[in-house]
Amino acid sequence: MTKLIKSTFIVVAIALLILSGSSVLAEGSSKGKIVMGTSPDYAPYESVDAKGSGEIVGLDIDIAKAVASKLGYELEISGMDFNGLIAALQTGRVDFVMSAMSVTEERQQSVDFSNVYYAARNTIVSKAANNYQTLEELEGKRIGVQLGSTQEMAVSGMKNVEVKTLNKIPDLIQEIKSGRIDAAIVEDAVALGNTTANPDLKFTLLPSEDEDQGYAIAFPKGSPLVVPFNEALKEIEASGEKDAIVSKWFDSMLATTGPTSGINLDFGILQGYMGYILQGIYVTLLFTLVSALFGFVWGAILSLFKISHVRPLQWFATAYTSVFRGTPLLLQLFLIYFATPQLLDYTISPLLAAGLAFGLNSAAYLSETIRAGIMAVDRGQREAAMALGIPYRTMMISIIFPQAVKNILPALVNECVALLKESSLVSVIGVQDLMRRATVVQANTYRAFEALLVVGAIYYVLVLILTSLARVLERRLRRSD
Amino acid sequence: MINVEHLSKTFGKHEVLQNITTTVEPGEVVAIIGPSGSGKSTFLRCLNLLEVPTSGRITIDGADITDKKTDITKVRQGIGMVFQHFHLFPHMTVMDNLTFAPVKVKGMSLEEARSKSEILLERVGLRAKADAYPSKLSGGQKQRVAIARSLAMDPDIMLFDEPTSALDPEMVKEVLAVIHDLASTGMTMLIVTHEMKFAREAADTIYFLDSGQLIEKAEPGRFFTKPQSERAVRFLEKVL
Repeated sequence: MTKLIKSTFIVVAIALLILSGSSVLAEGSSKGKIVMGTSPDYAPYESVDAKGSGEIVGLDIDIAKAVASKLGYELEISGMDFNGLIAALQTGRVDFVMSAMSVTEERQQSVDFSNVYYAARNTIVSKAANNYQTLEELEGKRIGVQLGSTQEMAVSGMKNVEVKTLNKIPDLIQEIKSGRIDAAIVEDAVALGNTTANPDLKFTLLPSEDEDQGYAIAFPKGSPLVVPFNEALKEIEASGEKDAIVSKWFDSMLATTGPTSGINLDFGILQGYMGYILQGIYVTLLFTLVSALFGFVWGAILSLFKISHVRPLQWFATAYTSVFRGTPLLLQLFLIYFATPQLLDYTISPLLAAGLAFGLNSAAYLSETIRAGIMAVDRGQREAAMALGIPYRTMMISIIFPQAVKNILPALVNECVALLKESSLVSVIGVQDLMRRATVVQANTYRAFEALLVVGAIYYVLVLILTSLARVLERRLRRSD
Repeated sequence: MINVEHLSKTFGKHEVLQNITTTVEPGEVVAIIGPSGSGKSTFLRCLNLLEVPTSGRITIDGADITDKKTDITKVRQGIGMVFQHFHLFPHMTVMDNLTFAPVKVKGMSLEEARSKSEILLERVGLRAKADAYPSKLSGGQKQRVAIARSLAMDPDIMLFDEPTSALDPEMVKEVLAVIHDLASTGMTMLIVTHEMKFAREAADTIYFLDSGQLIEKAEPGRFFTKPQSERAVRFLEKVL
């Protein structure tokens, strides 16, 4: 058992090294590096080349590259959830954000924007049977828009309509198809991609609006980069470079998104994406393993604090449990991911931050479980060990712990299963886990269900494997009964 | 060897042991008897500090175990203890139960511990059970393994806390035989027991405890035939 604990520590240490490895390596690169944050689920602006290199590509990326090379920077791209972009800017994780982000007053309070580099036109997307042409036709109807988008502001002036705001474009498309909304106002590129992939939908361009409304590059407040970026944007506009990039991406989108069959589910569209999705299994499993082991070891230590007679240790463990159980896991994840670079001057990798957050959180729950397991071990076991002159540490590790673990094995397995499934939360900070990959494929294919169903099946199979492994382990432990 | 001076133990307001003073000589076999609740087990458990005395002094081979500076873990390694409910380690085989402490605590090599354990198991008649788990053993077998486990540490002193009280009647004999056998080897032993016949045959000295006091301390022959105190007379009337 001592050996087991030792090797557990070693595995955790190695895994933490693997997780932190990427950022450690990145640390030493040239000082002319500039980091761009983007949420790669919005083709053709930014998407993951899931069928090919797996890198983030798109219109925004090409413009960013052009600007960076004009200014003599080496560009690095960091993918994350759209909701995490502003925080990443504010905490200095990225130097600027390009993610088809439109200028809003709200955002202007926390970041600085460049000039608008692309103005998209709004469209009405609806079922082909309805095919609404003008905003007037939508009177009395239910309209969907993306949360925080310029379209949301565009419909805010409309009277007599019921507006529904959703987080993601694929959700909007799905809502139209299932008839919960009548139409969605989305921008032209999105409409084009989605109606091509879903032949039962049609879109109509709306007259163009105020040219100032459009996408701009976001910077931290007071960033010295704003002025040079604006100049570089002007230059690539004048040279015709920008137009070339724009037409390249719109053309390529039309070429790649052929119409799919009319039926509701068509797994054929996932062709070419499966490799990309399956790689997520490794990430999800590595993450689950690390957070489970770390949570278990730390939880065990906390449980020892709780049963110790040293008051400060008891207080610490109790307070720790109370805080980590009393606040949302997602919040802890965000805090660790975004606050670590500021507080410790260490650029924590998303996977490491996630492993840490989940491990710390899991430890809070496990410390209670393990404590209960230790208390359930017969007092006599302790006395017998003490009478033999076995020191406390050896007694806990070799006599009490194995029996406690056997008592609580079902609860431990539950915790692992929960970790495995909750790991899908880490996609919000851009960890390329299964869930994140499903979202990316969803965005690339303009289809809501196929990728999700496949990933759901993978999670289910993983849980099945985990529980059967646990059964084998339990049988091994029951050998002595 | 064992020196007890003015030992008292209270649980809350309840005085379990009152001012006990005695000395146990090397090789002496002491049977501790008395009504239930008289403090017999508590007295025994104070001797290896499973219970911490409220006041008084206990020295084992010159080491004052009531002194906080004494390394009690070290002292305990020389004192074996056998419990009423055996307390074998259920997740280990019989052999591992025996070898664990010698290997982990004394740093004995596994081979040496194993060959020693085989001899001990032979001695308690359970060599064939070396690879069995405790759950597969009868109560009597468990207790014999527990005795062998204590002996594996090469103790100078053995404490027995009602070693046969949890056993079915037909198993009492096999355990007592082992203890009796051990008594004849010159081991210093203290045995809390309700087996009067056994106490009489195996012990050099009888301690009679009642209400936390050491009422009588005498040779078995004298104690069982001519008890000095009123309380001992009444106790013997009930149990004999």
